[in-house]
Amino acid sequence: MTCEDLAGEAHEARRLVLECALASGSCHIGSSLSLVDVLTVLYRQVLRRCDAFLLSKGHAAAGFYAVLARAGVIDAEQLVAGYCSDGGVFPGHPERGLPGVEITGGSLGHGLSIAVGRALAARRDCDGARTFCLLGDGELNEGSVWEALALAGHLGLGNLVAIVDANGLQGLGRASEVLDLEPLDAKLDAFGWEARVCDGHDHAALEAALAPGARPVAVVARTIKGYGVDFMEDELMWHYRSLRPEDRAIVFEALEGSRRAA
Amino acid sequence: MRDAFFDALTALGAEDERVWALTGDLGIGLFDGFEAAAPGRFLNVGIAEQNMVGIAAGLAYSGKVPFAYSIAPFITSRAHDQIRVDVALARANVKLVGVGGGVAYGTLGPTHHAIEDVALMRVLPNMTVLTPGDPVEARGAARAAAELDGPVYLRLGKNGEPLLLPEEPFAVGRARVVREGGDLTIATCGPILGEALAAADELAAGGVDAGVLHFPTVKPFDVEAVAAALRRSPLVVSVEEHLDVGGLGSAVAEAIAESGLPGTLRRVGFRDRFAHEVGSREYLLAGHGLDARGLVSTARALAA
Repeated sequence: MTCEDLAGEAHEARRLVLECALASGSCHIGSSLSLVDVLTVLYRQVLRRCDAFLLSKGHAAAGFYAVLARAGVIDAEQLVAGYCSDGGVFPGHPERGLPGVEITGGSLGHGLSIAVGRALAARRDCDGARTFCLLGDGELNEGSVWEALALAGHLGLGNLVAIVDANGLQGLGRASEVLDLEPLDAKLDAFGWEARVCDGHDHAALEAALAPGARPVAVVARTIKGYGVDFMEDELMWHYRSLRPEDRAIVFEALEGSRRAA
Repeated sequence: MRDAFFDALTALGAEDERVWALTGDLGIGLFDGFEAAAPGRFLNVGIAEQNMVGIAAGLAYSGKVPFAYSIAPFITSRAHDQIRVDVALARANVKLVGVGGGVAYGTLGPTHHAIEDVALMRVLPNMTVLTPGDPVEARGAARAAAELDGPVYLRLGKNGEPLLLPEEPFAVGRARVVREGGDLTIATCGPILGEALAAADELAAGGVDAGVLHFPTVKPFDVEAVAAALRRSPLVVSVEEHLDVGGLGSAVAEAIAESGLPGTLRRVGFRDRFAHEVGSREYLLAGHGLDARGLVSTARALAA
C-alpha cells in the first residue's frame, strides 16, 4: 500500500471506532484511537499467512475490530450493530473464537505469555512464522508481562514481536507518575530483546520497526491516546468517557479536521 | 503416584507429537524420560506459574497438548487468573498437573498444602477435575486427560502411595464402588481413599457395614453414583484431603439435595482452617479427624 492508502485506511478505521462508540455509548475510545496506526500497518504491510496477532490490551477492542473490519476479516456494518449492544457479538474486550481474535483480552498481562507459547509452537512447526503481541504501557505494570519478557529473551525467540502502545496514560494518571517504567527500551534490551522506539503514528517508521530481528523484537510505539480527535488527544478522561448521539457532528468534524491538518 | 504419572507422561510424549511438558522449575530428574522420548517438547519456564499457564494456552491454541506441572497450590492459586481466562474460558486443551494435593507435603507447611485446589478448579466452567486414588489410577488419569479435548486439572498425591484399586481403564466422570456396604457410604476422592478403606474395615469389625464410593473425577460429578448409594442407605460420610467446602463434600451435598432421595451427610475435611500444625501428612490427617480413626468416629456417630 502507498503512504496515502495507509493513511486513508487508518482514517477509515478511526471513523469506524467512532461509529462503534456512538452506537454503543461505550468507553475506551482513547485507547482504541491510539493503536489504529500500529494495527493498520501490521494488517496491511506486515502480517503474512501463518503469522499471528494477539491483542493483549483488550480494552482497545473497538480499534482492533475496526482494523479487522477494514481488512475484511469481519463485516463493518455487523460490527457497528453488534459492538457492546444487547445480544451483539462483539464484546468490549475481544473473546477468542471471534473471527481474527486469537486471545480473550480484558485481564491485563496475559497476552505475551500466550504469544510465547504460540512462538514456541511456530518455531517447531512453521519455520518463519512470526507472532505479534500488542500491549499497553500501563499493562507493563503486571508482573506476568516481565515473566514472559524474561523467558522470551532467555530463549532468544526471534519469531516473537512485542509492540507496546506507549500512549503514556493509564488508569489514574500519567504512566510516568503512576509507575514509571522508563527507560523502557533499556529495560527491554536488558531482558534480551531488541528494543526499537518509533513514532506510533508514522506508518513508514512502524513498518521498519516491525522488521524481523535476530532476537525477540520489542517495538515501543510512542503514541497519543485519542489520536485523531483533537479534544480527546492525550486526555485521560477519554479512557472512561462515552459519546452521546448529539456528539456525532463535533467528533467527526474533529476527525476530518485532523486529517486536513495532516 | 508421581512416578506413575511421569511414566504415563513419557509414554504419551513418545506416542503423540502434540504432547508437551512444561514445569515451573520443579521435578528434578523427573522429566529426563520425557525429554529423551519427546526431544524439544519439554520446557522449564523458571519459577513463573502465570507465564507457564499462559504459554501452555498458547501451545494449546497451536494444536499442542501441553501438560503444565507444579506443586498443587502454585499451579491452581498462583496462576488462577490465567487458568480462568486463557484456559477455562477459551476451552483450551491444557492439562494442569498439581503434585502434593492435600497435605502430602505435610511438614513443609501450609504454603505447600493444597486444600482449596479442588474448589478453585471445580467452579470453573469447562474444567475437568481428576483425583486418582492410587498410582495405577494416576497413570490412567494422565492418559484420560490427554485423550480428553479440553482443560483438565489432575491432582496427584506425592509418591509411595499404596495400590488400592483393581486396574481398569480410567472412565472420566464415573465413580467407583470400591466396597459394597448397606449401612452407610463413605464417599472419597484421591489417595485418602486408603483411610476410607481402613475405616470401613474397622467399622465392619464393629458391626457397621460401610461401603466406599471413590470419585476419581470430581468434575463432572457422578450424581447417579450418589443416588445409587442413597438407595442402599441414606447415610453418607464424605472425606477429602481438602477443605470441607467447595470440593467433594460440597459436590456430594449438592447431589443429595437435588436427588429427591432422603439422605444425611457428614462432611469430613479441613474445617475452615489451614493446617498450621507442624507434622507429616499422617500427623495432620489425624489431628484434623481425616484419618481412619476420625472417620470411624464420625461414621459411628452418624450410624448410631
